[in-house]
Amino acid sequence: MSELFVIVEHRLGEIRDITFEMLWKAGELAETLSSNLTAILIGHEVNSIAEKISDRADKIIIFDDEGLKNFNADIYKEIISRLIEESKPTLTLIGNTSWGMELAPCLSIRAGLPLATDCIDIISKNGNLIAQRQMYSGKIFANVSFAESDGYILTIRSGIFPTDRIGDRQAQIVQKDFPLKDITVKKNFIEFVETAAGDVDITQAELLISVGRGIGEEDNITIVKELAEALNGILSCSRPIVDKNWLPKYLQVGTSGKSVTPKVYIAVGISGAFQHLAGISGAGTVIAINKDPKAPIFRTADYGIVGDLFKIVPVLKDKILEVKKGG
Amino acid sequence: MEIARIHFWEINTVWLFYVLAGLTVVIFLIGLFFHASIWLAGLKRDKFNFSTAGVINLLKDGLLGKRIFKGDLTAGLMHIFIMWGFIGLFVGTVLSTTDYWLIHFLSGDIYLIFSFCLEILGLMLIVGLFMALIRRYIAKVSRLNNTSQDLWILILLLASVLTGFLVEGIRLAVQRPEWGGYSFAGLIFSSLLSSKDQATTLYPFMWWLHALISLGLVAYFPFSKLFHSLAAPFNIYLAPQPAPVISTEDRLSEELEFPFRDMIDFSACTNCGRCNEVCPSTSAMEPFSPREFIAQANEYTKLKFNPLNRIKWFRERLIKAISEEPKISPEQIWYCTTCRACLEVCPVYIGAFEPIRRVRIAEIEEGSRVPSLLIQSLETLYKYNNPWESSKKKRGEWPGVLDVPDLTKGAQANLCYFVGCTTSIDTRAQDLARAFVKIMTHAGINFGTLGQKETCCGDIARRVGEDGLFEEQMEKTLDLFAKHGIIEVVTSSPHCFNAFGNDYPGYQDLKTPEERLTFRVRHYTQLLEELMDRGLIKPVKSLDLKVTYHDPCYLGRYNHIYEGPRRIIRSIPGLELVEMAHFGPDSLCCGGGGGRMWEELEDEQKLSEVRIREAADTGASVMVTACPYCLIMLEDALKTADLEDRLRVMDLNELLTEALGLGDDEE
Amino acid sequence: MDIIVCAKNVPDVAEADLNISDKGTDIDKEDLVFGINDWDNYAIEEAVLLKEKYGGTVTAITVGNEDDEEVLRRCLAMGADRAIRIEADDISRFDSFVISKILSRVVKDLQFDLIFTGVLAEDDYYGMVGMMMAEELNINHANMITALEIEDGKARTTSELEGGLGEVSLIELPALLTIQTGINEPRYVSILGIRKAAKKELKTIELPDLGISDEELSPRTIIEEAFLPPETEGAEILAGDPDKISSDLIEILKKKGVME
Repeated sequence: MSELFVIVEHRLGEIRDITFEMLWKAGELAETLSSNLTAILIGHEVNSIAEKISDRADKIIIFDDEGLKNFNADIYKEIISRLIEESKPTLTLIGNTSWGMELAPCLSIRAGLPLATDCIDIISKNGNLIAQRQMYSGKIFANVSFAESDGYILTIRSGIFPTDRIGDRQAQIVQKDFPLKDITVKKNFIEFVETAAGDVDITQAELLISVGRGIGEEDNITIVKELAEALNGILSCSRPIVDKNWLPKYLQVGTSGKSVTPKVYIAVGISGAFQHLAGISGAGTVIAINKDPKAPIFRTADYGIVGDLFKIVPVLKDKILEVKKGG
Repeated sequence: MEIARIHFWEINTVWLFYVLAGLTVVIFLIGLFFHASIWLAGLKRDKFNFSTAGVINLLKDGLLGKRIFKGDLTAGLMHIFIMWGFIGLFVGTVLSTTDYWLIHFLSGDIYLIFSFCLEILGLMLIVGLFMALIRRYIAKVSRLNNTSQDLWILILLLASVLTGFLVEGIRLAVQRPEWGGYSFAGLIFSSLLSSKDQATTLYPFMWWLHALISLGLVAYFPFSKLFHSLAAPFNIYLAPQPAPVISTEDRLSEELEFPFRDMIDFSACTNCGRCNEVCPSTSAMEPFSPREFIAQANEYTKLKFNPLNRIKWFRERLIKAISEEPKISPEQIWYCTTCRACLEVCPVYIGAFEPIRRVRIAEIEEGSRVPSLLIQSLETLYKYNNPWESSKKKRGEWPGVLDVPDLTKGAQANLCYFVGCTTSIDTRAQDLARAFVKIMTHAGINFGTLGQKETCCGDIARRVGEDGLFEEQMEKTLDLFAKHGIIEVVTSSPHCFNAFGNDYPGYQDLKTPEERLTFRVRHYTQLLEELMDRGLIKPVKSLDLKVTYHDPCYLGRYNHIYEGPRRIIRSIPGLELVEMAHFGPDSLCCGGGGGRMWEELEDEQKLSEVRIREAADTGASVMVTACPYCLIMLEDALKTADLEDRLRVMDLNELLTEALGLGDDEE
Repeated sequence: MDIIVCAKNVPDVAEADLNISDKGTDIDKEDLVFGINDWDNYAIEEAVLLKEKYGGTVTAITVGNEDDEEVLRRCLAMGADRAIRIEADDISRFDSFVISKILSRVVKDLQFDLIFTGVLAEDDYYGMVGMMMAEELNINHANMITALEIEDGKARTTSELEGGLGEVSLIELPALLTIQTGINEPRYVSILGIRKAAKKELKTIELPDLGISDEELSPRTIIEEAFLPPETEGAEILAGDPDKISSDLIEILKKKGVME
């Protein structure tokens, strides 16, 4: 019976959501392709993590060793390529995360299997595998096929698939060892560092008013700041604003910033790159103001205003102040 | 006794004097050599012609110091007294030496006139020096910065002329010639002495004192601020001649430092501070002042082109000194708006914006200290022919519902309306273009635009020192003009007008006659004025408004167009035109020029707020401008200064369309 | 400190309307303006900064046609010492796998302490070439670098993780690092700078001269179809003048309970 591998991603003792998302999709595929679903869990003292996915996989192969405490792409690569050699899985799914993006290409070369990254869907048509992904900052979709191979590696974008359990499984736990001394570890982990906390925790905000690249100049951010003040909301931003040092990192919403869950999220001049959208997947109502009607954000927002933010935001702010004064 | 000058009376060791004099001359020449090395370092690419305008300038500003009088009568007088007193006494000494060594002509009546004149000149000098001391240390004129050098020079000059009179007085006290009365001042001093003996003992001491101080001054001359008197005439003479263009092609093969004219600027500056007074940036308390910049540049060139640098030891110390503490601080140079107010008032014709542009060229080439928004704008300009948006299409969208002939799509017309980047793309500035089109259509003028294909004139690149990009845009524009047979252009922006009319010709001169493209360029105010004179536009609607007109820097100071726009305004019935505190050549910059629209400077809004407040102070309800930058900057300032209920900002085209009854836009 | 930087020439699509090409497997790039991949811009700046600090050389490499040399000239103008272009008139036939093979083959013969690539390319967003090269060359690597320091011949790197977390590692050189945006502030490159850089060495290598097997040159992934995003329900658009839009928006905010 064919097999599907899912590489479990976890950090600091916590399993990461991408793992659940991958297991969901793999579970769906396992049915279509009549395959077994195997999760591969590498780390130290990971039994609690194994428990969390025990009903989502048919088998969990665990490598538990002190030397595996910190993620290391070279170690994972060696272990997984050995398993791939042994089991020849049809698919190996890895999260398209910072760690995943380091691991997957190395694994692809090491195991000699084709790789497609940042997939938003996996389609099996007439025995052919198609990976669907985006190009040009999300403006174009592409269906990608592979050269003939025993197996394929795909990295999956976060936040696309549900984290629900699909199907009803009970995983067989297999503990394995790997001779770590065979692997020369080339990268030494030193420590984790966190962005400075700052005066504001945007993850706790109920109302966020977020500014993006469309603002043009640093000075213009005041326009959005004033709107935030008028609404008694918190100012946040997208990555390009932080790259330019216009606002501090702790105000950044997105994959490399924070995930936020406000009741209302107003995105001003933000195009909607997926890294940003990933940060607001848990938001209640998303309202977007952007002059480009084709901006990706309008696909996922609840309400949209297509227009010049410099014309709309000041009028909006004034009206809000009026209403607040009067009422 | 013969009526003649008595040389070296009672002085025995005359040879010592000549040794010291010789030494002084040597030191003086070393000083000149020092300055010459600096100037010659920049000489390579300048061209000088004989120009009558230059000579007239020399007479006006060099001899009479006309600009020094402006706004400060006492300064003008003081300078004339000091300058002519000094020159007079110097000439007197030269004549006296000639008389002693070559031809003895100072005798009889000639001598008496000579003597009398010198008295007057000496007294003039004393009066001037006292005026200077009072202005600096008692009246404490604010624009002057008093350094120790200023004090020393005044004291030494005073000491020199006073000791000179004293020497004369002492001699007269002893000799008592009948013609002593012609040396009346000296005579006054002589009365202070009690006895002939006292005088005789005092005399040599005074004489040597006077000699040493005077020789000292001559030696000190080229190493001090006094050198300005030799540098300034060059600057004043060259002022009316445009500097030759240095294309980037030329710069590929050589490192170009400040050119000759800039080097003279630095030596000619007297720190009078008039530039600081009129600089809009300095007045808005921004961290920039033209005087300080010129002083820094002076330091820099003196260090860098010091003739001693030929010696390795010195050169190494220099490189270390400049890299550890750059003499010119790079952040400040982005504040200059290139408004030219400094050049307008400088008595020695220094325009700080020119050497600033030179530093900008160097900074642009270095790349890591360029303001990030400017980087983005220049890169957008390079790719999309405009610094605003990453799209070429948007450029052709401003007409809206108006029907505008497109010369690139087959329309035929002799006149090309060059809209410009800002006017095409900024939503507020677009109103200017639409209003102008309405007026032209109303007047029945045949014209067309270049539509979406319009390029950038390159002005913004040139002002921030990206000459390579300017040249590329210029070539693109000229190619476009050539392709569509454009021979007459009218522009929205004074900046495009200035670029076409004043920047392009220098580059065209570098080409062969076949390559050159000749076309006539005017600013829209000039065209409107012509239409008005030809009776094609007659404002009929009476507008009951009090308006004030803001002279854009690039229309006014750069191109001397002040009256035209005012004539147009005055032709509108019902309007009352009032002037702001600063108008015409004194106009205060809106802060949009010099690349500032694309920089992010701290507190930059204040500059335009100063101007909008001046407008509000006139009591006018409309501020009229004739430049898209001014329109945008001043309208923004209107909001941030919270003056929206006091007045509004309009472009002249908009005012005229109202007066012509051409109605509002339908968008 | 010898550094190699891999740079790519990509179309600027930020404000452009994209159309699918006739072939149906990519966009129509005819009217688009090209420029250096944003991530690679940060990479070359980082390399030049290191060179300025520690001395050494910077080599810029690209796979592309003559027009793509523009990217190399920019790198040279920023401070690279020499550049290499591997001639490929149409790189759309190659995927990341092939590109990484080509680059690895060229780089293998060069002297280097560090290789920089950008994390992603603005056009395809794959993010594979860097790490594939590292594996091919069997050298140390780290991903998504937002901070870098050299200590005693080792690189102290901070990799960007999710949620504002960073991972600090110590890596022995030689190493390949993929550079993330925001690591530095790339300097301005003037036209004059680019012209002056024309004097620097820009070598072209023909693909056949590299002796890469046909098998290695055949792509592992093939774009079957490129298409514009499917029309989803999307946002409810609020229309009208700013006044009306504001009123409508305020109603929504009140309904959602964030405004009284």
